[in-house]
Order: sequence, then structure tokens, then C-alpha cells
Amino acid sequence: MARHNLGTVVQFEFTRTVKKRRFWIATLAIPLLLGLVFALVFASSSSTQSRTEAQKSQTVDFSYTDASALIDPAIAKAMGGRIEADPDTAVERVKAGTLNAYFSFPASLVTDPVLVFGTDQGIFKNGTYDAVAKQLVILSAQDKVGSPELTGALQGNFDTESQTFKGGQPSGGLDTVVPPLLFLVLFYVVIILLANQMLASTLEEKENRVTEMILTTLNPTTLVVGKVISLFMVGAVQALVFASPMAVAFVFFNDQLAIPDFDLSNLQFQFLPMLVGALLFIGGFILFTGVLVSIGAVMPTAKDASTVFAPVMITLFIPFYIVTMVVSDPGSVIVQIFTFFPLTAPITAMLRNAFGSLDGVSATIVIAELFIFGVVALRVAVHLFRYGSIEYSRKLSLRTAFSKKS
Amino acid sequence: MNVAQPLIHIHDFHMHFAAKKVIDGLSFDVERGETFGFLGSNGSGKTTTIRALLGIYRPTAGTLEINGKVFSDDFGSRLGYLPEERGLYKKESVMDVMTYFGRLKGLSKQEAQKFSRQYLDRVDLADKADLRLDKLSGGEQQKIQLGVTIMNEPELLILDEPTKGFDPVNRRLLLDIIEERKDAGATVMMVTHQMEEVERLCERIILLKDGRAEAYGTIDEVQNQFGGRTIKLKYSGTINESPNYKITLQETNYAELSLAESADESQVLRELIGSGLAVSGFVAAKRSLDDIFIQIYGDPSAAHKPNSTGPVT
Repeated sequence: MARHNLGTVVQFEFTRTVKKRRFWIATLAIPLLLGLVFALVFASSSSTQSRTEAQKSQTVDFSYTDASALIDPAIAKAMGGRIEADPDTAVERVKAGTLNAYFSFPASLVTDPVLVFGTDQGIFKNGTYDAVAKQLVILSAQDKVGSPELTGALQGNFDTESQTFKGGQPSGGLDTVVPPLLFLVLFYVVIILLANQMLASTLEEKENRVTEMILTTLNPTTLVVGKVISLFMVGAVQALVFASPMAVAFVFFNDQLAIPDFDLSNLQFQFLPMLVGALLFIGGFILFTGVLVSIGAVMPTAKDASTVFAPVMITLFIPFYIVTMVVSDPGSVIVQIFTFFPLTAPITAMLRNAFGSLDGVSATIVIAELFIFGVVALRVAVHLFRYGSIEYSRKLSLRTAFSKKS
Repeated sequence: MNVAQPLIHIHDFHMHFAAKKVIDGLSFDVERGETFGFLGSNGSGKTTTIRALLGIYRPTAGTLEINGKVFSDDFGSRLGYLPEERGLYKKESVMDVMTYFGRLKGLSKQEAQKFSRQYLDRVDLADKADLRLDKLSGGEQQKIQLGVTIMNEPELLILDEPTKGFDPVNRRLLLDIIEERKDAGATVMMVTHQMEEVERLCERIILLKDGRAEAYGTIDEVQNQFGGRTIKLKYSGTINESPNYKITLQETNYAELSLAESADESQVLRELIGSGLAVSGFVAAKRSLDDIFIQIYGDPSAAHKPNSTGPVT
């Protein structure tokens, strides 16, 4: 009966959530918003790029003076420029509209700016003057150097390949850090998306006065576990929906959106860090679920629950205040406290695991601690639900709930 | 299943909430197949007893058993419980909620939906199967809750103030359903303040006061315990005091007399006529449960202690 009922609870809880129009509005709002932002960035990026390209090749009618002696008159001429014969009146002529543009190249381009004067062409086209002036300097400098290799070197247009070692083995660098950090991202997504629903789902029985009907039909453990599983499934659906526009953007619009060009093939999925990350994720999920369900069982309404809910959620973010210490000084006292305090342990330990500073013993202790506290929290949650949810309109007294007899 | 064993057995049940003693050594049985009235004023401990019986509260002390065992959700598929605090998942559709509870009570999805459709048809809610529960009126929601309670054809029905908030139509429906279940052999335990319902449906009753049984037995036995025989009298003249009766109600030309245990009706009639009273109407009756209820709960000092005929403590 219990197993059959677990399936029934999971199906009911999952179906009723995903059948709701409100769920899809809320779920689709984020990717739609992201899509909108991507579209704007795409449009803006395309426009800027094409404008820059156009400006680079554009010829503009301008005159110039060159105190640096860097500018090549032939290149300047090709770009529409000529040497200014009367520099003293050039700016006035630009103001009067009789001269289109005037550039004044200083003696030292390192210490002084190039002065650019132009007649107004509108907010977007006015950038053309700067672009042409800069392009003129770059082309003239390249011409003077006379070597594409040197020019490339000066501009930093080259790659490096590094290899570091730890204990005689390649340590992998950032390529080994990223995969275990995925569990951290997943943990944040799941908890942040589901926390409110965890709280609300147990409050619902109480607020709807359905507790007595449920408790005489169903084991509370089955109900709570069923709710947790269905929430996890709901979270997975939401995560997929949220991730889809990012995946599409990454695969198809990488260049246009200026997304850093990650070479995923370089990522190194090392077995132990991945295993530890997965166990920390599961243990942390169980712990936070148990704590949130307990809060829902104790408090009479969502409003009352929010006062306790907020501090619990803050513990998710506190470790980021010491993230530099977690990376650079993992042995410090504060990092150790955060590593082993149950509510801060998942985030801190996942960070340390990714950066390779969580040794085997510490990892074992934290994982064991998370699972033990998680199971205890879930059992407490079930107990509080059983004896707390009947207190329809008032906060449950923990003393009463945990006394041997009511 | 031991048929001689009562379906519900409660013995020396105590329940304390912090320092407050709510139930104080309560004992009673509900036999298989009977309809049992669980009566008492507000706050006398009826709902607490039911919740403890169903494992929602933990008893401070005592034995509370259904079918010889402490209640567990294994018995849930054989139980129909209509709690005092009513409620279902209000944001879900009627059909979804009924199907869900049906499945939790051991029906297949098809069985649950078939029952739901038949029941909704019976209570004129067939056209509202797909509506959310919070779109239904309070009375309609009560009907749905009742349907959920009986959809597994329970062998034990526990109804806590079942007609509370029901209009006369729904009340009739509920009583019909209780009678149907009763005819099908189910055991019914009901909490109610409606004495006419008790007299219509119940074979035995218990009256609870301050967590203790004030009376317990068949309706006849309880009526006898509380001066069961009454004479309703129409008269002119003056009624004299007598050791054979006590005047319990006196209005203009009408009185009700409670007979002493040793007196009989004809003796009292002769005595009244002999005292010069002009008697125009004389009806011998038993005391109503309403009277007994008011006697027990209306005026604490007037309460009789019952003549114990069962395991009343």
C-alpha cells in the first residue's frame, strides 16, 4: 500500500503543479525574458559590429595635423584625409560647417589624446570620426613596424597553453574546477526554485484543513517523501526550460552574443571530485528539504513561515562572502567552521571540492554529516507534520510535539 | 477477524494538553455493525477522543484500538472519516481530488472515477466535476467531502458532527447515506448535537462531560438512568407534591412529571385525580434525549449520576 501510495502522491503532486497555467507563466517568463535580452544583445551587437566594420572601411572627408609624425599621408589620403593648411581656423570652420572634420594628432599618442572635431551626423554616426582616427593610427603604425608578427605580438593576438602539476600528476587547472562546480550551480537552482514550493506544499494541507483526511488515509512519511520527489521533478522541468534558451544561445549565437568561447572538450571530469560533488549535492538537498518541510509543519501560514524561512535561505549565500578565503586559505578557522556547519556546509564544501582543497577525510565527514542531519531533519519534518499540521491556526509548540505523550 | 471483539475498544483513556486534563479515564466499546452516538457538549473531549483513536493525537495513557490494533494507515482503506475540520485541496478540480483520495484508499483510477461520476450524478454535481473546489459553494464542498469519505465503501464510518453546516437537503442526503452504509453492515460512530438524529439512527450512545462518561448504553438504558419515565399532563387545578413524582415542567394547565422508580403511571393518575385535580389529558412517555442533554449540560448541579449498566468510568 505504501509504495502504491507513494506513486499516487508523486503523480498527484507533480501533475497538479505542471497542469497549472500559473506554473507555466512563471516558468516560461524567465526564458522569455532571457530570450528578449539575448535578442536585444544580438541586435545591438550586430548593429555595432556592422557599424564598426563600415566605419573602418568608410572614407570620411577630414583634414588633420600630425605632431607625432606617425601618420602616413598616403593612408590618410586613402581614408579621405588631407593635411590641414590652416590649423588655427580649422575648429572654427568645423563649427561653421564649412569643414566636415578635423583631427589633431599630438606629439605623443601615449600621453595626450587625439583631438577629433566633426560636424554632427547623429548620435550613432558621430562615432565614425573616432573610428576613422583610430584606424588611421593603427594602419600607420602597422605600416611603420612592417611585420605582421610583431604587430600581432604587440596587440597580444597569440595563445598560450599551460600545464601545472600536483603530486607528479597534471593538476588540470580551471578545466578540472568547472565540472564539480556544476553541482553547486545545480544546488542553487534546485533550492532557490523549489524552496518556496517545499514550504508551501506542507502548509497547504494545514491551510486547507485537509490534514485529518490525509493522516487517516496515508502515512505522513509517504506524503512528505512523495512531495519531495515531485518537487524535485518539477525543479528538473523548470531547470530544463530555463537552460534551453542558454543552450540555444551558446550553440547557435555564440559570436553574436559575445559569449566567452568555452572549449567544452577541454573540461576534465575527474571521478572523485565528481562523486564527492554529487554526494554533497544530494546530502545538501535532503538537509534543506527536511528543514524547509519542518518549518512548513510548525508554522500556521506562509506569512508566519517566511520569518524563519529567510534566515535559512541566507545560509545559502553566506559562504560567498568568504569565497576568496575558501579558494586561497581553505585552512582558516572561518572556512573550517563554514565547511562543517550543516547549513553552510553544502556550498562551502562544494567550492572546496571544486578547487581541490577538500581532503578525503573532510569530504567524508561533511558528506556523512549532511546525510545524517538530512535524514534526521526529514524525520523531524515528518514528525512535526504528523503532530503539527493538526494545529490549524496556531504555531506548533515544539515542546508539545517532542514530548513523549501529548 | 474476531466477530465477538468490539470494532472500537477504548479503555482507561487519558489525554492531557500540558497541564490541562481533557480526557479522564474514558472507557467504552463500539460493537461491529452498530451505529453509535458519541455525544457531549462543546469542549467535552469528543473530537480529541476521535483524533487519538485515529492516531492523530498521541494519548497520554490508555488503550485505543480499532479491530484489536492501534490505528495505522493500513486500516485507512477500510475507514471513512469525516472530520469536524472540513477541507480538501481547494485549488484542484473535483474529479482530481476525488480520484486522488480514491486511489489513496485503494481503488484503481478507473474505479475511483467511476464512483465519482456516479456520486456526483446522485448529488446533482455532475456538471461541476471539472471545476475547482473553491468555485463550489460551501454546501457543495460538503457533499464532495462526504463522497470522499464513503467512496471506499468503508466498514467503519467515523463522522464528527456530520450535519454541521448542512442545509436540510444535504442533511437528508447524509442521513440516507449513513443508513445505506448501516444497512450494508458498516459500523458507524457519529458525533452530533442533533438528538433526533441520534434517536433515529443510533442503537447505543455515550454522553461525555469534562472528559468523562456521564451516561453510556442503549438509548433506553440512558433514558432509564436519567428518570426515564415521564407523564405529560393537561389539567386544571393544583398539583400537589408527592414522593411518587417530581414536577419537571409546569405551565398554565400543562405539566410534565418525572416518575419515581417505584411508582407506576396508573397509581400516579389515581393519586392526581384523588387530590381533586381535573385531568383532561394524560400521556406516559420516556424522557427525550434533548431533556437529558439539557439536564446534564445545561445545569451542572442538576445532573443525575447514572445507574451504571456498562463499563462507564
